[in-house]
Amino acid sequence: MEEASFTFLGRLEPESFLEFARHRARRLDIALTIGACSAAAIELSVAGDEVLVDAFEMACSLGPYDCIILDVVRTGH
Amino acid sequence: MIEHKSWIPVALSTALEPGTSAGTLVGGGELVVWRDTRGAAHVWEDRCPHRGMRMSFGFVRGDHIACLYHGWQYDTAGQCQYIPAHPTLDVPKTIKVPTYTAAEKGGIIWAAPSSEAAEAAIPVEDGEVVPVRSIYIDRPFAAVLAALTNANIPAFTGDTAPRFETIADGIVIVSTGADRLLIACQPFNPTRTALHLVIQGSAETYGGAGQKHFARWAETFRLLLETASTPVAEVA
Repeated sequence: MEEASFTFLGRLEPESFLEFARHRARRLDIALTIGACSAAAIELSVAGDEVLVDAFEMACSLGPYDCIILDVVRTGH
Repeated sequence: MIEHKSWIPVALSTALEPGTSAGTLVGGGELVVWRDTRGAAHVWEDRCPHRGMRMSFGFVRGDHIACLYHGWQYDTAGQCQYIPAHPTLDVPKTIKVPTYTAAEKGGIIWAAPSSEAAEAAIPVEDGEVVPVRSIYIDRPFAAVLAALTNANIPAFTGDTAPRFETIADGIVIVSTGADRLLIACQPFNPTRTALHLVIQGSAETYGGAGQKHFARWAETFRLLLETASTPVAEVA
């Protein structure tokens, strides 16, 4: 079981990004906790299988069509 | 997921060899129809949950179908069982393709796009059948049905005029001469309709010449419908 926190930085539509993140988390069977959200940064904490957490990061680093992700900061626990 | 209250014909049984897959549409929704190597037919949403690739482009291996794109393998319940890039991963139950109940009866593969449909009986009889063909007509479902039940379908054996019995929405039995022809209509998309034609009779009587006879009629019927009038949408 992998636990990690992510900060996605860029030009974000928070509602759109969070809907996207929730959908991917459900599909990858990942527990998702949402932290601070703004149009510049969104903080997420996740727990799940290591390779699926990596897949979640990859998916969210692309984001939905109306968000541009410029950087991802990952912190493992 | 597509919602529909009754069984929908999606292919002729003989059109799908074991170990193959094909894409189709119902109401514009994309479906894959595939047959495992043991012969069972399956109808699913035509989309891999990973990257959205059409499953109908995939490969059937035994009782699994694998996505063409990254090789994710799904069992007959639509559950992903194996991801080649992560061979030791215990794939979560959440990675699953939406599936429809599928069945074969009367020479046709049927899909039940709702639980209400799945609980109902497929409205055709079992018995000896001879497949004719599937034909795709660029006209809406209602227009094709209206024309079909007034069509002049010449008999292969006998010479009495055709009689039409609508046994369910879009499912018509035509009795013409001594022949019985099942025509099952598939609402493909808003402007296109598929017809699946099956002769209810023996291969001894209808194999070859009988099949050609009704296949030719189907082509004439399509030509008649597609050239009879130009829809307003196409003019605009």
